[in-house]
Amino acid sequence: MSMKNAAYKKFKDISREEHISPGTALCTGCGGLLALRLAYKVLGENVVIVNAAGCFTLLSVYPYSPFSSSWMYTAMACAPAGAQGIRDALDILIKKGKLKSEENLKVVVLTGDGAANDIGLQSTSAAIYRGLDFYYFCYDNEAYSNTGFQMSSATPYGSRTATSLPGEINPQGTVQRKKDLFEIWRAHKPPYLATVSPSHPVDLSNKFEKASKFEGPKLFIALSPCPPGWSFDASNSVNIARLAVQTGIWPLKEAVYGEVKHTVIPKFKPVEEYLRTQNRYDHLFNPVKQVDVIDNIKKDVEQYWERYLDS
Amino acid sequence: MVKEMLTGNSAAAWGARLSEVDYIPAFPITPQTEIIEVISQWINDGEMNAKFTNMDSEHSMITAAGTAAATGARVFSATSSQGLLYGYEMLYNVTGWRVPLVLVNVSRGLSAPITLEPDHNDVLSARDSGFIQIHAETCQEILDTILMAYRIAEDERVLLPVLINMDGFYLSFTREPVEVPGKDEVSKFLPEYNPKHAFFKASNPMSQGVAVLGGSAYSYFKYQMHLASLNVLTVHDEVAGEFKRIFGRSYSAIEAFKIDDAEYVIIMSNSFTIKGKAAVNKFREKGLKAGLLRLRLIRPFPSNELKTLLKGKKAVAVIDQNISPGSGGILSKDVTTALYHEPDRPEVILSFIGGLGGKDISHAEFNHIVEEMEKSIETGIVPETQLLYTKNDLDQINNLLNIAGKTLEELRN
Amino acid sequence: MKNSTNEMIKRVRFHGRGGQGMKTASRIVGTASFLEGFFVQDCPLYGAERRGAPMVAFTRLSKEPILERGLIVSPDINIIADETLLGDKNANVFQGIWEGTVTIVNTHYPASHVRNVHGIVGEIVTLDVTEIALNVIGESVLSSTAAAVVCKLTGVISESSLEKAVTRELSSINLKKETIQKNVQAALICFDRIPEAHPHYFEPIKEDKKDEIVKLEYADACLGSPSVYAKGSTKLKKTGNWRLFRPVIDHEKCSRCYTCFVYCPHSCISIDGDGYPQIDYDNCKGCLTCFYECPKKVISKDREVKAW
Repeated sequence: MSMKNAAYKKFKDISREEHISPGTALCTGCGGLLALRLAYKVLGENVVIVNAAGCFTLLSVYPYSPFSSSWMYTAMACAPAGAQGIRDALDILIKKGKLKSEENLKVVVLTGDGAANDIGLQSTSAAIYRGLDFYYFCYDNEAYSNTGFQMSSATPYGSRTATSLPGEINPQGTVQRKKDLFEIWRAHKPPYLATVSPSHPVDLSNKFEKASKFEGPKLFIALSPCPPGWSFDASNSVNIARLAVQTGIWPLKEAVYGEVKHTVIPKFKPVEEYLRTQNRYDHLFNPVKQVDVIDNIKKDVEQYWERYLDS
Repeated sequence: MVKEMLTGNSAAAWGARLSEVDYIPAFPITPQTEIIEVISQWINDGEMNAKFTNMDSEHSMITAAGTAAATGARVFSATSSQGLLYGYEMLYNVTGWRVPLVLVNVSRGLSAPITLEPDHNDVLSARDSGFIQIHAETCQEILDTILMAYRIAEDERVLLPVLINMDGFYLSFTREPVEVPGKDEVSKFLPEYNPKHAFFKASNPMSQGVAVLGGSAYSYFKYQMHLASLNVLTVHDEVAGEFKRIFGRSYSAIEAFKIDDAEYVIIMSNSFTIKGKAAVNKFREKGLKAGLLRLRLIRPFPSNELKTLLKGKKAVAVIDQNISPGSGGILSKDVTTALYHEPDRPEVILSFIGGLGGKDISHAEFNHIVEEMEKSIETGIVPETQLLYTKNDLDQINNLLNIAGKTLEELRN
Repeated sequence: MKNSTNEMIKRVRFHGRGGQGMKTASRIVGTASFLEGFFVQDCPLYGAERRGAPMVAFTRLSKEPILERGLIVSPDINIIADETLLGDKNANVFQGIWEGTVTIVNTHYPASHVRNVHGIVGEIVTLDVTEIALNVIGESVLSSTAAAVVCKLTGVISESSLEKAVTRELSSINLKKETIQKNVQAALICFDRIPEAHPHYFEPIKEDKKDEIVKLEYADACLGSPSVYAKGSTKLKKTGNWRLFRPVIDHEKCSRCYTCFVYCPHSCISIDGDGYPQIDYDNCKGCLTCFYECPKKVISKDREVKAW
């Protein structure tokens, strides 16, 4: 998106209002929470979050709530269906005059990558298909982090997880490539779809601002560095997210009705710089360097960008 | 007020329409489909002011129903069998949210083997979910019960969802004359839903369905659901009284048929009860003092009413149209438990399994039940749970086994 | 009060924060006791919270089969691995402490100081375990060091069992050999630093059960459903005591660039009327993203030594 017309140009444009109070049960330095906090600043107060089971279930644990707005916890597979119910109910109650239109709310689905890619893919696809007017915020920490970092289909190739540990048979850890959720969603041709990173708050804010102009599904995948799961110091979340963007591993892009545009073209730092920051990749470097695995990761990144930079 | 020939499914649709529901999330499954087809058509034709959404599964459907009710809408939906089980997780969620939606289940035996005709393992699997359960015998009762269900569910002493059961085919596709009440009468009976505890609006944010950690808090909320359910025993009777005043038809938690002087009592539920009533009439013709109870309110279980009705009876036989493998009939346990502390309780309580997968219960089977009751009274020995299965049934399965390339004899070797 | 069936049981309760290693500590003590031939039970108990939040773990060792399970209400040895927990009511670190309890506090303060400030009954042992961990292992993970202190105090676990248990438990969570060796080294230092096993042997006072059964009444669904009507109430939890290090902004040198404010994941940095960032120390969990990201490097980190 061109910076000239963008609503947000610098950090000082970002709202000082907070919509998630401190004191949640989430991990110190959670990258996903930072991304959500920044998104919330654009979404504003009149929001109802529909939450799927995952780390963010713990945002509100009885009797506490961090929100200045509303929230509903559903279950792991069905947050988009829950959003459908709330959206439909608000619409019909307003139509019937039972609810004043100023009481209306934006409906926001909040799920982790496990719910988005695996157990909740069907209900997500269905909600997009139905053209549900909602936001979908997937905090992608690339595994089932809430249960102790087991593999999800968003886990990248080469990552160690608790259920894809490197060993004699699979020294690389995770064998499969990360599922391309962006492309799965894009196939539905939603009005707005974007990836975001907490390291790029201006880009993130502009995308949420832009999305607000569209009616229908507005979908976001937020890279969410996870200090305990990815195994790095809690102060490093932003830095690691930044490296993911700079190495080309996490492309920042958007798609309007399916038309893709990259919003940041990276300078392509070596992927090793990113991998080395996290102990989930430690086995690729110690005790012996798994050059072939690292090369495969490099190749994947190169191939991705060749495809997009050529077109 | 008009009388029309309606299927159970159409009667259910009328119940939703007359209750002026706001929202119907739907997903098709045989034999429930007609309910959602009819409602969808009415909404399309502008005859019903409600929002209808085709969902992607029963899991999603029950979720959407629950969250819409949590937003403050009056919600109706319907499912059956596998569908109820597919959405099972969400049954416990919506009850925990304390939202008063109404869900109709059209009973159908559970897979495997997959089948189409009814028994009640599907609906009874939800008996511990916190849903209020009312099981209907006729098409009229379905319509009436839906109207009553919203009154009960939305009562501040309850605020739990209601599951209404009708048998697939035997009610869902069966037409009977049904009195369809007028709009004005219904509005006298059923006021608008105006929740004070759960809704979403910009001016009044709240968090719903919040995680609760720690046994004290969890026990508190769970037990509140139990207390709410128990309140239905009172609320149901109040609502039924009001219903009778306005519409003239009377319903109780347990329907008593020729019970006053009865010595031998058969207990059933749902549409096959009609066969039981016919059997009772035949026994009476022969001079046997038979009677029947139909369990209509299944959750909460009307233990006290049952105790009173069965006081001093000679023998009771429960026909469960369900099976809990390794245990027997599900409802016979509730019945037996309810009677245990009644000093003047029936001498014997017998348990039978019948009508699984829609298998007929013939008069021969009812005869057998009475004979068994008499024998038990005589000998004091109560048999184990018995399957109502006739020689004719055995011939049939033998024939089928043969065609399938195996015989009972072969299997024995 | 003597209770013959439980005469030979010792109950150890570990208090720490998620990520500090108390679950592993309870397992190291469990395995070491197992290797000594005791009947053993160990288990952690944690709520929703993750890294940094108070948690508790238990180990029971006994010469006879253990007829207990779960929560230890009244411990013989009570280790508080994070001194900031002393001031946290929710953590309830003094629950069931009695004259026979040995309380171990991870602090550089002497035992007398802890006793004066908190009025803890029973014996108090203090040791700056974090210091040892930081020096020897290089990070403030306290599993092996805390376990070592406990093992020594039981008086029935040998150095060699401790060493084996540390190795076994840390291998099972896939730590590198080098890290395990450092842990063994740190554990042995702690084992030595505790001068002697606890000399006394007490039977825990039987729990005084004055509680009674009440009858729950139906409550309006506003009360009877798990919904929250209060807004932003997590602030009441005051997660500031999760911090190991405190970020401190040098406002003289601050350029008011907003970087720290924008990047604070926990909404703990606000901008004051003059455009300067201010940290909410009541709630800041000490992730130090601000310290790391500050472009002018005008934020420092100070070790929290006392949050009580």
